Amino acid sequence: MIRYLIRRVLYAVPIALAVGFVCFMLVQIAPGDPINAIVPADAPGEVVEQVRREYGLDRPLPVQFGIWLMKVVQGDLGRSLATGRTVWSDLSTAIGNTLMLAVAAALLGFTLGCVLGGLAGTFRGSLLDRVAVSAAVAGVSVPHYWLGMVLVVIFSVQLNWLPAMGAGPGGSSDWAWDWEHLQHLVLPAVTLSVIPMGIVTRTVRGIVAEIMNQEFVVALRGKGLTRRGVFLHVVKNAAPNALAVMGLQLGYLMGGSILVETVFSWPGTGLLLNAAIFQRDLPVLQGTILVLAMFFVALNLVVDLVQTALDPRIRRS
Amino acid sequence: MSTTTTAPRRPPTAAEAELAVQARQAPVRSQGYWAGVWKRLRRDPVTIACALILLLMALAIVFAPLLAPHDPYQGSMLRRLRAIGTPGYPLGTDELGRDMLTRLLYGGRLSWFMGILPVAIAFVVGTALGVLAGYAGGKVNMAIMRVTDVFYAFPSVLLAVAISGALGAGILNAILALTLVFIPPIIRVAESVTTGVRSLDFVDAARASGAGAFTVVRVHVLGNVLGPIFVYATSLISVSMILASGLSFLGLGTRPPEPEWGLMLNTLRTAIYVQPWVAVLPGACIFVTSICFNLLSDGLRQAMDVKA
Amino acid sequence: MTLRRKLLSACLGLLPALALGAAPGVAQAQGTIRIGMTAGDIPLTHGQPDQGFEGNRFTGIPLYDSLTMWDLSRADRPSTVIPGLATEWRSDPSDRTRWIFTLRRGVRFHDGSEFNADAVVWNVRKVLDREAPHYDPRQVGLTLSRMPTLRRAERIDDYTVALYTSEPDSLLPINLTNLFMASPAHWERLRAAAPNAEAAWNAFAANPSGTGPFRLTRFVPRERVEMARFDGYWGEKAKAERIILLPIPEPNARTAALLSGQVDWIEAPAPDAIPQLRARGMRITSNVQPHVWPWQPCFAEGSPLRDVRVRRALNLAIDREALKQLLGGFMVAPVGSYPEGHPWFGNPSFRIRTDKEEARRLLAEAGYGPQRPLNLRVQISTSGSGQMQPLAMNEFLQQDLRPLGVNVEFDVVEWNTLIVNWRQGCTHPSARGSNMINVSFSSMDPFFGMIRFWDSRMAPPVSNNWGFFNDPRFDEMSHAVRNAFDPRELDAALARLHAAGVDEALFVWIAHDVAPRAMSPRIQGYIQPQSWFVDLRYPHIRQ
Repeated sequence: MIRYLIRRVLYAVPIALAVGFVCFMLVQIAPGDPINAIVPADAPGEVVEQVRREYGLDRPLPVQFGIWLMKVVQGDLGRSLATGRTVWSDLSTAIGNTLMLAVAAALLGFTLGCVLGGLAGTFRGSLLDRVAVSAAVAGVSVPHYWLGMVLVVIFSVQLNWLPAMGAGPGGSSDWAWDWEHLQHLVLPAVTLSVIPMGIVTRTVRGIVAEIMNQEFVVALRGKGLTRRGVFLHVVKNAAPNALAVMGLQLGYLMGGSILVETVFSWPGTGLLLNAAIFQRDLPVLQGTILVLAMFFVALNLVVDLVQTALDPRIRRS
Repeated sequence: MSTTTTAPRRPPTAAEAELAVQARQAPVRSQGYWAGVWKRLRRDPVTIACALILLLMALAIVFAPLLAPHDPYQGSMLRRLRAIGTPGYPLGTDELGRDMLTRLLYGGRLSWFMGILPVAIAFVVGTALGVLAGYAGGKVNMAIMRVTDVFYAFPSVLLAVAISGALGAGILNAILALTLVFIPPIIRVAESVTTGVRSLDFVDAARASGAGAFTVVRVHVLGNVLGPIFVYATSLISVSMILASGLSFLGLGTRPPEPEWGLMLNTLRTAIYVQPWVAVLPGACIFVTSICFNLLSDGLRQAMDVKA
Repeated sequence: MTLRRKLLSACLGLLPALALGAAPGVAQAQGTIRIGMTAGDIPLTHGQPDQGFEGNRFTGIPLYDSLTMWDLSRADRPSTVIPGLATEWRSDPSDRTRWIFTLRRGVRFHDGSEFNADAVVWNVRKVLDREAPHYDPRQVGLTLSRMPTLRRAERIDDYTVALYTSEPDSLLPINLTNLFMASPAHWERLRAAAPNAEAAWNAFAANPSGTGPFRLTRFVPRERVEMARFDGYWGEKAKAERIILLPIPEPNARTAALLSGQVDWIEAPAPDAIPQLRARGMRITSNVQPHVWPWQPCFAEGSPLRDVRVRRALNLAIDREALKQLLGGFMVAPVGSYPEGHPWFGNPSFRIRTDKEEARRLLAEAGYGPQRPLNLRVQISTSGSGQMQPLAMNEFLQQDLRPLGVNVEFDVVEWNTLIVNWRQGCTHPSARGSNMINVSFSSMDPFFGMIRFWDSRMAPPVSNNWGFFNDPRFDEMSHAVRNAFDPRELDAALARLHAAGVDEALFVWIAHDVAPRAMSPRIQGYIQPQSWFVDLRYPHIRQ
């Protein structure tokens, strides 16, 4: 067990390095001189030369990567071309906001998904099953940015029940856990939750149906085991795989919120990325992608470890 | 779960596991198998309906020049944002007075193209690499699968946005980005089913009888793994269409005036106060296409699943 | 409050928090105006805003003052330059490159320090003196392209200062409306705690100090800026207690924010949303303004726009009435950079109008037609201050020109990027092969409206002659303008220059904006001047 843990954690290191390399290459594949990705286009010549030396842009690519990596490891993600602020200063608040949105959407989506999936798996073939399956397919098939627009028109513009954009009257830095702020979270979280809802429903339904079909469960039920007993058995056996899927979904939500954040002007990493792309603010683009990908790597690691702890069968290899 | 690689790896998703099982059971397939698949498909009205809808849509967008009542680029300010059901403009007109039906028909071409092409390329490239990794095993497997793991470390939307954001807006860049997103999952599925098939007796027998590696792969492995990988790839089309339209919606894909559903959704956004039903049409098209591809893929999987 | 809202509130009233928060837009602190801007980010707050004139409008003029200012108190006549931090100014007759400014006494910065001649010299040096400890290269580009002849400042006494230009320039007082006076004392204090000047300016941006009618109280990067009334203001004090600025680049989100009560005022509502906004009781304001929405041609070697016939044809080809319909009537069809009757309009012989036949003839003469289409590539933005509805309008133009054999394609970039590219020129890689650029501009300052585009010395990187237009006649005319220190003489020189520009069709003049804004009926006292700017001292919330 311990050896597995160590091996798994060590394995994340080369992955993280490789992810860093991909992010580093983003600036290299961008059209134009990479220097234009680091200093503003109207910077004076001597500033340009100074930065070129500082980043080693006149040296071979591996050296540049090394220099870049050293800076990143020390927490220096560079400066935004547009605002002159450090990338980290904007990114740190944005990550918190995205995390909040992703967790809200995950709670919503996972709860619904587990309930729908569990019911559908238990009563396979029933009307309930069909409704759940339809909801799941709709959830994974709907363009969620479009769903967001529709929800804004209905709930903000027509009914005037919920705010259409932003993270509260005081912005994200004034966040408080009261209704005045939470209401801003409702529409984006609902919009973002449809995909995990669909995926979790399908997964849980599959797992539960399989367990319910296992002979000994059928036998247990035949012997008159209480519903509660069957339920506990199913939960225990379904949990590891279901948790793994949900863990990854949380990662996808973190990385995939750009469209929803754009529609709702939610001040998270997605909105930051969107602005960075159109301002061609490559340091911000690179830093945001790097941090989100690293988060995903870490999440993968945690999911693996938790899953292993819950289900010893996975360890054998 | 049995894996030939030494490093630990994320367990397969339910879909991947199911496919691996299918592939291992594949050798029992015969002509009777395909007849059975077809028989099961015929009894599945949802899948048939989806296939028909998709076929109709495909025909409609292929023959758009014949079907479309108007020019997709020419509009008039005098008739902008007409409602659905306006005589001559059955689905209304857009913000520049262009016929919506025409734009949706032509728009389907780019949307389908941008949705399907990345999956198609990824299917070819990913299958080749995955089968190679699975069949060759050892260091080759290691090399291919580790690189795959790196791309797996990015959430798909993020990777697509990152690549097309760095490369800049444009259809080709968007397609390139999406292709890169879909290659790794296909490699994984292909590798896992190939590994399953490789260890089976009849492949061993073929190798023992002196058949070349190429022949073994072509005859015994590909014949048995292509089906499951294909089914998996069809399930990616829906994701691909949503992502492609999403990139256009963000301004990273198609450029005006090319009709494309995601971009149309974007440019019609402000019209949502005037003609909400017209404004949501492109989104509905994406939705319908994507849901049909998803259901079709599910139906195919079930029909080809020998366990069923 | 609608019945539905009441019901909802009643239902959710179980939540204790709701009792305080209620639905959006119900309870607001008195006198707080929340404004949804079109910018994608908060304009820089260190004194020289970016984001075009929307930056000056919201983080320039309210927080800072300049030596000369625009009179924004009247809606019924074009706004003119009035005394600001300088009470009077004159050109030195013995040395026309020297201007003497007499400063206003008793003016204090938000931090309490005094505004005087030293502060003026300090603020000129921040962008002009590379040796100055507080020189900030990042402010240079935003500032000097708007006052390219300014060279240095010299203190005469505490309240008198001399400004020197590289050549005689009668337009300097107008240009100076763009040089905002930041507090040297406050900067020095921040510098003491910062590792270098750049960091000090970043700290200053988060915590600025000017002399304007509002002082910044809160700065949340990319999200919001809050300003409070500055009670120590030297002039008429602001009525509103607080102003909150929110960047909302997406027009739909702006409209939704106003309709759901999240903001009280939005810039540039989408024309299609205006009927809905009106139906919900919002006030739509607009006024003519010295604004031009053009396509600016590239005159470099190989550009098809070097041919005046092509430029004239494009001016004649556009159906501006149809465009006006697209904009819900919120535009004025231009006949040049200035309207007919304006003292600077002059007597051009080329009349800008819609005449597709004549356009077709001119194009054929230049060798273009359906068989040999004219291919144009225009760099445009997705949004931006003064850019109106850039995507829809450009797409309309593309469609309007197609039947004439003019194929237009677009290079879409973000607004700030477009402004930066505008100073790089059409031969720079940033143009990405474009032979036109679509940057709207303000024409109230003749330097802004004409000289910076038509004087060959204003070619990049100096200023916005993006197309590298180079014609000695125009250089001479702009020289004459700068040497006309008598107002009547100046008008005549400007009229000559403008007429020549129209005759050469140096732009494709497409629209004048009327700056539609939508605001809640709770806002009182708002005045929309004939200007790009607004004086935020007047509007306030009805009690």
